[in-house]
Amino acid sequence: MNIQEIFRSQKNDVVRLWTEAVYSTYPFETTGFLRTKRDPFGNPVAHMTREAAGTLYDAVAGEEVEIDTVKAALERFVKLRAVQTFTPSQGLGVFYLMKPLLRERILPALAAQAELDAYLTAESRLDSLALLAFDIYTAARETLAESRIKEIRNQHAQLARWAQRLEEGPSGAR
Amino acid sequence: MAKLPTPQMLVASRPAFPDKSWLDTKPEFTPGSFCYPAKKETMELLHMPNPHDWDPAAEDWNLPENWEKILCDAFADRLEKHRSLKLFMDICVRCGACADKCHFFLGTNDPKNMPVLRAELLRSLYRRDYTMLGKILGKKAGARGWDMSVVKELFYYAYQCTECRRCSLFCPYGIDTAEITAIVRELLHEVGLGIHWIMDPVKNCSFTGNHLGIQPHSFVEIVEMLADDCETITGIRPKTPFNEKGHEILFITPSGDVFADPGIYTFMGYLMLFHELDLDYTFSTYASEGGNFGSFTSFNMAKKLNAKMYAEAERLGVKWILGGECGHMWRVINQYMDTYNGPSPANMEVPVSPITGTVFSNAASTKMVHIAEFTADLIRHNKLRLDPSRNDHIITTFHDSCNPARAMGLLDEPRYVLRHVCNNFVEMPENTIREQTFCCGAGSGLNTEEIMELRMRSGMPRGNALRYVQQKDGVNHMACVCAIDRATLPPLADYWAPGVTVSGLHELVGNALIMKGEGKRTMDMRQEDLPNVAEDEPEESPADAPEAQGEGQ
Ligand code: SF4
Ligand code: SF4
Repeated sequence: MNIQEIFRSQKNDVVRLWTEAVYSTYPFETTGFLRTKRDPFGNPVAHMTREAAGTLYDAVAGEEVEIDTVKAALERFVKLRAVQTFTPSQGLGVFYLMKPLLRERILPALAAQAELDAYLTAESRLDSLALLAFDIYTAARETLAESRIKEIRNQHAQLARWAQRLEEGPSGAR
Repeated sequence: MAKLPTPQMLVASRPAFPDKSWLDTKPEFTPGSFCYPAKKETMELLHMPNPHDWDPAAEDWNLPENWEKILCDAFADRLEKHRSLKLFMDICVRCGACADKCHFFLGTNDPKNMPVLRAELLRSLYRRDYTMLGKILGKKAGARGWDMSVVKELFYYAYQCTECRRCSLFCPYGIDTAEITAIVRELLHEVGLGIHWIMDPVKNCSFTGNHLGIQPHSFVEIVEMLADDCETITGIRPKTPFNEKGHEILFITPSGDVFADPGIYTFMGYLMLFHELDLDYTFSTYASEGGNFGSFTSFNMAKKLNAKMYAEAERLGVKWILGGECGHMWRVINQYMDTYNGPSPANMEVPVSPITGTVFSNAASTKMVHIAEFTADLIRHNKLRLDPSRNDHIITTFHDSCNPARAMGLLDEPRYVLRHVCNNFVEMPENTIREQTFCCGAGSGLNTEEIMELRMRSGMPRGNALRYVQQKDGVNHMACVCAIDRATLPPLADYWAPGVTVSGLHELVGNALIMKGEGKRTMDMRQEDLPNVAEDEPEESPADAPEAQGEGQ
């Protein structure tokens, strides 16, 4: 098996194990539901997680994936983690849960073929992807903060306009 | 050197559910997870029971000394008063059909946000005092007594339910968790626990008529400014009749649409439509708020605020009431108004459209017609001249607001109107619309900014479906018929589907409406350039820069 084949042969398992590792950051009672229901709108968290998992793995494995595709796939997932009750490290730390899986599933096979370099490159790609997620996370938090301000402003938009007219005096009035 | 935690240790956040049963796992009151408490003065002014200062994050909530007795008695009283509550307490078979239907559960993955467990918080108390098994077996039978942590838990989860009723749609017994939440909120009010974002509007509506507490004369001036804007756009200044006696119709809509961006554009749509029809109507400054934050407080408060509608209809001598685009206003009208304040005043009649002659027999009892029904009927009878191409710059979808959809079955009228005023209309996935619609995540008085983060997760199922049609069909707009939605959906869209704008239905009607004698339209209701305007006559000077506050969308 060449490097690519090794990665591909492990994809299903790693994706599944990683997805489960993510699910297990949620309360126990919830995990069963996340695991079993497939509807993308009836179980959006699982759908987002699975989408992120597949793309994340492909990107780590060095498959031909566009950065925009990766971003789009990670975006929903990271945005979700960014507003759930996790600390930032818990929110994003899940990306590093893929490392032990890679070390268990991929490293031995690549080491056997003296392809340690290829393995280390894959791990580095995971690091970069985590940084990409960090960007998405930060942007999401900024959107959130802006929304708070925007909302207050919008609530009183017309009132502010009216008050401004009063201040301007009769010339501003109709 | 201290040991650094591994990634596994960092994410090991799963609460120890296997060790503790869900009854023993307590919520944490972290910032962003709860709404600010109501002010003591507000509660005093409204004669609410046991007003006091308190902080949800504090250990001690300063409850009155005999709080346990107050709550037990209040619960007994409600069980007596509402047979439905007793039934809901008794008949749940814990089948789980509702469990994964709540947007709070889907977004938070917190098991206590499963409707069945949300109700179980109250049911466990019921069991101790009202069931034989609970009395004997106690905890083993899922029964427990009142203690402070239970009160805190009830507060936490009663304000993580938007009373949207999606769960009840799936319950084989029709158990309505929204009503259970409403009762829990009512019970909490007995010991002085309420939230600012609900009680402040309640106070303002009680004393001045609208939710911001703007004085009547100022309210009129603000509406006149909107009429000026209509003139800027169309060359026609619609009339703004206020508190005039002897008209046929009283128009009542949420006051949010007079103050808030983008609701104001929907309000302008109403003004233009009524002017074009030469409708015989009046506004009222006393009943200038259709929304009813009392319905998020207690049945009595809802009744009190709702009473203004009929009182004003009687004083002004109108035949019927036309109601604007609002959510819970319609739930109150459709489900409770008759019982609260009916029968309607003697001067009122079964509504008949003065333009088409259609008798709205569905409103025979309340005498209140929804504007979407009214406008759909006008279009059906060919009474409006419309140019849907003026909305060609948008590809819109429609968000069914929970209350009109599930509490009154208003599903097709808004769509009918939308299809006639827009050329591009796309539905979101089937299990996220119509009766199965997902809540905006912030209804029932939870549309406050301190819980923005919570709102983004509870609104995620809606945002997610929106994002789907945005990517698949290029949707860039979402229409709705609820003032709270117009406030809550823009941040939700900014987060989950950036680039999608939000408006009410009648903003789009206003865009498309061809008024008699109007000038050439070059801008939309937001005074932004209309695309596809043919440049025929070069005579007009460029319109003055729009001075709209708030962000142009
Ligand atoms: S009424 Fe809505 S928010 Fe409340 S429990 Fe049911 S689905 Fe959830
Ligand atoms: S669907 Fe109805 S009966 Fe079944 S668990 Fe939910 S509330 Fe109980």
